[in-house]
Formats: sequence, structure tokens, C-alpha cells
Amino acid sequence: MSAQPSSHASGNPSGSNKSFNDRGKPIEVRLSNLTAAKAISDAVRTSLGPKGMDKMIQTSQGEVIITNDGATILRNIQAMHPAAKMLVDLSAAQDVEAGDGTTSVVVLAGSFLGAAEKMLSKGMHPTIIAESFLKGSAKAVEFLNEISTPVDLDDKTSLLRAASTSLNSKIVSQYSSTLSPIAVSAVTRLVTPTSSNVDLRDIRIVKKVGGTIEDTELVDGVVLNQNVVVGAGGPTRIEKAKIAIIQFQLSAPKPDMDNTIVVNDYRQMDKIFKEERQYLLNMTKKIKKTGCNVLLIQKSILRDAVNEISLHFLSKLKILVVKDVERDEIEFLSKSLGCKPIADIEAFTEDKLGQADLVDEDSNSGVRVVRITGIKNRGRTVSILAMGSNSLVLEECERSLHDALCVVRCLVKKRALIAGGGAPEIHVSRQLAQYAQSLKGMEAYCLQAYADAFEVIPTTLAENAGLNPIAIVTELRNRHALGEKNAGINVRKGLISNILEEEVVQPLLVSTSAVELATETVCLLLKIDDYVMAR
Amino acid sequence: MSMNIFGDEATEEKAESARLSSFVGAMALGDLVKSTLGPKGMNKILQSGSSGDVNVTNDGATILKAIQLDNAAAKILVNISKVQDDEVGDGTTSVCVLASELLREAEKLIMARIHPQTIVEGYRIASAAALKALEKAATDNSSNPTKFRTDLFNIARTTLSSKVLSQDKEYFANLAVDAVLRLQGSTDLEHIQIIKRVGGKLTDSYLDEGFILDKTIGVNCPKRMENAKILIANTSMDTDKIKIFGARVRVEGTAKLAELERAEREKMKDKVNLIAAHGINCFVNRQLVYNYPENLLAEKGIMCIEHADFEGVERLSLVTGGDVVSTFDNPDKVRLGRCELIEEIIIGEDKLIKFSGVAAGQACTVVLRGSSSQMVDEAERSLHDALSVLSQTVKETRVVLGGGCSEMLMSCAIEEEARKVAGKKAIAVEAFARALCQIPTILADNAGFDSADLVTRLRAAHYEGQSDAGLDMDEGGIISMRKLGVTESYKLKRQVVLSASEAAEMILRVDTILRATPRKREAM
Repeated sequence: MSAQPSSHASGNPSGSNKSFNDRGKPIEVRLSNLTAAKAISDAVRTSLGPKGMDKMIQTSQGEVIITNDGATILRNIQAMHPAAKMLVDLSAAQDVEAGDGTTSVVVLAGSFLGAAEKMLSKGMHPTIIAESFLKGSAKAVEFLNEISTPVDLDDKTSLLRAASTSLNSKIVSQYSSTLSPIAVSAVTRLVTPTSSNVDLRDIRIVKKVGGTIEDTELVDGVVLNQNVVVGAGGPTRIEKAKIAIIQFQLSAPKPDMDNTIVVNDYRQMDKIFKEERQYLLNMTKKIKKTGCNVLLIQKSILRDAVNEISLHFLSKLKILVVKDVERDEIEFLSKSLGCKPIADIEAFTEDKLGQADLVDEDSNSGVRVVRITGIKNRGRTVSILAMGSNSLVLEECERSLHDALCVVRCLVKKRALIAGGGAPEIHVSRQLAQYAQSLKGMEAYCLQAYADAFEVIPTTLAENAGLNPIAIVTELRNRHALGEKNAGINVRKGLISNILEEEVVQPLLVSTSAVELATETVCLLLKIDDYVMAR
Repeated sequence: MSMNIFGDEATEEKAESARLSSFVGAMALGDLVKSTLGPKGMNKILQSGSSGDVNVTNDGATILKAIQLDNAAAKILVNISKVQDDEVGDGTTSVCVLASELLREAEKLIMARIHPQTIVEGYRIASAAALKALEKAATDNSSNPTKFRTDLFNIARTTLSSKVLSQDKEYFANLAVDAVLRLQGSTDLEHIQIIKRVGGKLTDSYLDEGFILDKTIGVNCPKRMENAKILIANTSMDTDKIKIFGARVRVEGTAKLAELERAEREKMKDKVNLIAAHGINCFVNRQLVYNYPENLLAEKGIMCIEHADFEGVERLSLVTGGDVVSTFDNPDKVRLGRCELIEEIIIGEDKLIKFSGVAAGQACTVVLRGSSSQMVDEAERSLHDALSVLSQTVKETRVVLGGGCSEMLMSCAIEEEARKVAGKKAIAVEAFARALCQIPTILADNAGFDSADLVTRLRAAHYEGQSDAGLDMDEGGIISMRKLGVTESYKLKRQVVLSASEAAEMILRVDTILRATPRKREAM
């Protein structure tokens, strides 16, 4: 992405010595930044909105990803240009802060940069542009706050609307009626009336290839990533389960010290086998004694977590075994099952066990899934079982679900909704333009351009939906001027209507954070006048 | 007859060419960083040649440290900028720009056949006069706490206004002043921890009392602890191994092996019991804590934090007042760290552990948020500059005015002085005054104003006795800096003039550059 030749020369001919006279190099640097950043924003532009297109990404490992999630696309683009990298970061930041709107934030930033470019060619100083933009962003957030409507977390229908608006712009849009209730009830289950944030790590999405997305469900209990070990013929269904999570191994002992077993003759070999059997038998008996009948075993890198002999004993004792539980899963599992992990056989006592009505491995659509239901002393966690016909769809389904969860979380953080469909952007654009007229000097110019830049969102929405952007956006502006604050683009019908009646809503936080983050990044980019190669 | 005195690749540059090469190097460096000066200064992208990392900054020291140089004089400038960074923390660009401007003036004088030593003499007279004028102009408000706070606030605001935080300078100036005043006079910035998290906007940053550790609490441990007694340790919590190479245990059967394993477990248990005997309820280890000891500790109701990195442990020991221990035999001799509350907090998407009400009351943490990692990094550098200037000001409480005011003041004082000097060195004294004038000129240039007009108006104002006149960067006029509250630390300004003139002197005195043979590398 090389710099365009600086066709518009610096300085303006009016003769006023107040205009900014830039030297040759900074202009080129700035233009190269602007070009690179705009290229990035153009790359994701077509994936905005409910009629947005998807991108197929082939990673360097030859993996294929199909997505229309801005953050995912940008993360996989190997941007070389420093300015392009900053936009990638921007989208990641929006992902952290709001979780959704990762495409809009980059599209907005690209549009702001376009506006800044025009201002620069008029001979304005970059810092003045940057300052006016920041002022504009503060105003824009004010305007967005004004048109937002507060939402109560008990108002499930509003939450559902917000979640399905987010899902409608994804590949899985036809399943939004399945997925949005899952997202809403998953988050609301974790929320207490006072909480101002939700830790999404308490929501676990377990992915299984098989079935269709419609089979995705919110499980009342826990779903495991792993399957039951059936090799030795153990049970796969236990009622009135007593569950233990163990962090020690049921295999031949292996101290940390180096050791050798000295075998002098063949009789001793028998003895070694016998002793090993005895050792494992003692362990399994001890486990059975406490009443435990479901065993989750943590993965071990040093030695086998279980071996055939111990599995055999366990199946004789009618204990259901799940192995290869990862260490970072332990926290989640122990929290949700209400049990304590056990690191030593000596510490294996009944009070550490978790209780559940049913642990069952069932197989529908050819997928075996272990469900633990009816858990007593359940912690505040949620499990979602995501299904999909192939791994590409499944991955995208998970990403979309994550976005929807984030949308609901945004509503927990900041309990207000605004309309979607380009309505807030047009509103902000109009209000900002009015505000700009009350100012004087270069600021007024910059703010006017900043205000116009907001129109990129409705324009792109219309373009992606195959509508005539000019006709649609001008009509939209007209309707807003007539006082219809909630008029937005109805992409499905291809006309302007009251978007709130169409139930297209989004969290306030997504919009405000997109505006603020995009402006901040654009201002940082504007102030750059040189590259320095460093070590 | 020519004789080869030097080794093969060693080179010598003499008189004119030596001087020329050092002037060119120094001036090139000055030109590189001068566009970052002042509130309307620009940023630079530093792109690492090796890793391709991108860094956006307008901090002089950071830029200068990053670039590769092969010029002796330029390296001297990089060094003085580094020293400035260590000594006062800010003004790293100014010092480099001033030194290069001094050299630019000196070059003209040398062209006019004035001996370098004469120039040095003149520069000395000038810098002495400048420092005297600066000291006279400095004001001291340390006796009045509210006024002093305003001073600190103004200094922080002035420093931050030339950085990426300029938009929210009021907010961050308050934050920095609060943080520094907590230190109660100590200049140990170790007590102020800065945690960076991408996401949110800059004004989502905040100052938090206490200490935040970027780790998670062990499984099953209590997540909240009041009146914590903390043992900070650096010990292996897997199994104590015999470290002699090749040590092996010979056993005769699996049962013996099982016994051995049991013995290891028992040993671990003993160690945990020893640790628990300290009467603690929080155990922080620098190394990993394995599942088994973690379980044991959790059973005893002790919060267990594993794998706290080196820096984390050091800071924790500093702020909670506890020792870092690695043996546990003498519980009564170990000082435990104390704090009122340990809890988990969520910043962005991460869970961190917060220690509040720590023993060292001055400790605090600044959590920085921003739209991209470049933004947060640059914000950290800016805040660090502000914090170090402030902590220096708490010690040396005098302040002077910024915005080109002090430079013009010194320049005028030097011109007065020049009139009393007889001989050629008077020309050098005047040159020094001109070099100082370049700082306001660059400030005005960077902001896109007509510098020739503004700087002469500024000088006229000073001659008319308006000793607090400076450049108004928003309107492009001359205004009283005292009214605007543009204040800088006296120590900073003094250091800038001192190091710049010293460096210029040193480079001026050079008449030969000898380059040693590069050390031969084997197997090239």
C-alpha cells in the first residue's frame, strides 16, 4: 500500500498566513496512512448489516474460515502497513469493550479518515482537525444518549430484540429465533440486580459437529467437551450421581525422582504386576467407598491419567469415567458442579463430591454428548451446546453467539437501547451539522465534515442491500428532518420506516463505544508525520 | 613520504571534515525530532526493522533510543536526551533540539573564522547568564499547599498538552497529581503501577488506591479476603527434587514405588503445613503451585496465587511490606505482607486481583484504557513523563513559565549580557541567544503559525517588560503565560539549558574523529 502522489499541493492560495504549510514528506506519510487505513475499512465494508456478504479467509496454515464478523476478518488479515495494523487493533478493542459492532467501528474510522483527508487538502492543520473531531465525538455521544431508551433487565422482549438484531447480520441469521433466546437467558441467569458486568467465561459454549444449528440449546446443567470412556465397558448413564473431579492419576505410581526397578529374576516380575494391580485396586476401592460414581479425571502430561487396569476396575465398580479434562476447565467445572477438585487419594472424602440427578451420555444426530443435569448447589454458570453440520458453520455459529452474548452483556453494563438500521447515525449527523453551524472558524468546517462522515453507515447498509444509496439516504434524512427520530432503513422491505416498530434495536454502548474508539484512533493517525525505522 | 600509522580499517577525520560530520549529524537528529515539539507537535511511527512492531510516539527519548545511528555527534545527543529522561523524565525533545540549534549557530561562526574555543567561551558566558535569569524568574509556592497543588496541576497539564493525552489533559493532570501527592515526597515511581488494557476510551482510565496483580486466584480458594496476611514466596511448589545429576532411586517393586510417591506427597504436605504455620491467609508464589499443594492450601482456607512474575512479587513485597521468602522454618522471623482487602476485579475482559488498603499507603495503580495498543503504550509513556516531572517538582519546588516564555526571557538576558562582553566571544554570546529563540520559533512553526511574526512580537513584549508573555498556541497570539497557567518545572528547564550547552561545547571542541577498527568476528 504505497503512498499516492500528493496531487493536492500544500498551502492554500488565499494568501492567509494562518493556513498550514506542510512540507513534502509529512504529506506523503499522511496520505499513505490514510490510503492504507481506508483500504482496510473497504475490505470489511461489504460485510456490514443484515444483507452484508461473508468473507472466506484462508489462513497461513491452510485452514478455511467463513465469517462476516469484522474482528475475525481483520485478525486474520496480515496487515503490513502500520496504519492498517492500528485499525485491526481498533476492531479488537471494540470486541473487548462491546463485543459487537466490530465492522461498524472500522467503517466509521475509514469514513472519518476520508473526511480528514478533505480537510487536510484544504490546508488545515492536523491537530486542529483532530481536536474538532474529538469534540464532535463527545457531542455525538451526547446525542446518542438523548435518543436512547432505558431498558429493564426483566424486560426479556427488549433483550431478545437486541440479540436478534445482532444475529440478523450474521450467517446464522435464519436461526436467530433459536439463538437469541439462548443468549438472553444465558446472560440473565448470571446477572444479579446489582451487577454491572458479566464474566463471559462463566458461559461455556461446547461445540459438537453434527445435527443443525437448530439443535443448539441452552443446557440446564453442564455439558462436557469430553466423552465417557467406554473402552472397558463402564456405564454411560448414572442416576443420582456423585461426581468427583480428581487431579491425580489412576495408573502405576511414578514419583518425581528418577527411579529404576531392579528385577533379579522372573518371580519378581509377577510380583511387580501383582503389586501394580493391588495398588490400583486399593485406589479404586477407596473411591467407591465414598459413594462416588462419576469420575472426571484431569489430563496429565507426565503420565497416563488412567490405564486399562484401573478402567477395568472402575467399570466393575460401576463408575462412569471421563478423562482428559483440561486444567483450565477445572475451575469452571468445580464452580458449576459444586464440588471441589481432589489432588490426592488420601484427601478423597465425601464432602468434596458434587451431586446431580442424572449424568447421561446420549447420542442424537450421531453425536455423543455428556450432560449433567439436576445439579445440587449449582454455581452461577451456564453451558450452551452448539451444534452445526460442519465445522465452518459451527465456528461461525459460536462467533455469532458470542456477539449476541456480548450484546446482552452491553445492556447489563449500560442499560439503554437505541434504534438500529442507520437511524441513530443519521440523527447524530443531523444534530452535529446543526451544532457545527453554531460555531465559527475552522472547527465549524471540521465538524461539518465529521457529521457528514456518519452517513457512511446508512449508505453502506443501503448499498449492501442492493438499494439505491443516494435515494435511500436522502429520504432518510428528509424523514428525520420532519421529526421522525426513529426512521431507519428497513432492509428487508427496502424502504424507510419506523425502525423501532420493526424491532431493530441495539445497545447504546455498542454505538457510543464505536464512535469514541474510531475517533480516538483517527486522531492518533492524523498526528503522525513520519516513519522512523527502528531496531 | 606517507606512513600507514593506523590499522587497516581504522579511519581518521580531521579538522574541517570532522567538524562538518559532527555538525551534520547533530543537526539531522535535531530536525528529525523537532516536529514533535510542543502542543501541536506531530507523532512518529517507529517501525521495528527486526520484528515489524509498530509504535506511535512523540516522546523524544523513545524516538532517539529506537533509531540506529552511525555518527558520533548524533550519539552524544541521544545520550543527553537519555540523561534528561532519567533525571527529570521530560524535555527530552527540547534538550536535543536546543543542542542542535546551538551547533547550527556555531557552524555559522566557524564559517566566519572564529575559533571554536572562543565560541565555547562565549557559550559559557551566555549559559551562565541564562541560568541566572531563569533562577530569578522562578517562583516558589511550596509553603502554600493549595497554590502548590495548582502549580503541580499546571505543570502536569503543560507536560501532557504536548502528548497524546492532550485532549484529556485536565483529567490526566489531576490523576497524575493525585498519584504523585500520594508518594509524599518520595521520587520512587515504583510505587505507582501502571496497568494497560486495550478497550474503552482514554477517559475510562482511572487511579486506584492499592495494588493490582495481573494473575488469577487458584481454584477453590476464597475469592475475597479481608484483613489479609500475605506470605510472598519464591519456592518450588511441585516436588523438592534432589538436584544432584544422575541421582536415582532403586526399588524392588511397584509397591515400593507407591511408597516413594507417598513419601513425596508427605513431604509436600509438611511444606504446606510449614507455610500455613505462618498464620497467613494468602500465599503468593513466584513459581507454579501444583494441584496438590493448591488443594491443601485451599482446604486450610488460604488464598493461593501462583506464578506471580518476578516484577509482580517484588512490587507486592514493596507495597505490602512483606519479605520474599524461600524457606519456611522460622515463621516468627518472617515479615508478612498485610492489606485490608483482596478481591477479584474485571477490567475489560480480564480478571485481575486487587490488593487494597496496603501497608505502604503511598502505593497506587493507574489503569490505562485506550482504543489500540499503540494508544495505550503512548499514553503510558506520556503519563510516565508527567509523573516523573511532578515527582521531581515535589523535591525542587520552584517553577517557571512555559510556552516559549522562559526561552525568550533567557534570550533577552543573554543579549543584555552580550553588550557588556568585549571581543569576539560577544558574537558567540549573541549566537546562544539566537539559538534559544529557535525554541519558540519551532513551537510556532509546528502549530502552523507565522513564526517570524510571532517570535518578534514575543521579543518585543519581553523588552517592554511583559516578562510573563508567551505564545498562545490556540489563537496564535501573545498572551500572559501566568494567566494561562502554562507552567514548567524549574529543574527541567535548567537541565535542558545545562545539558544542551554542555553537549554543544563538547562537540565543538572535537577536531578529530578516530574510528577504531571494528572488532573482527570469527567465522564470517
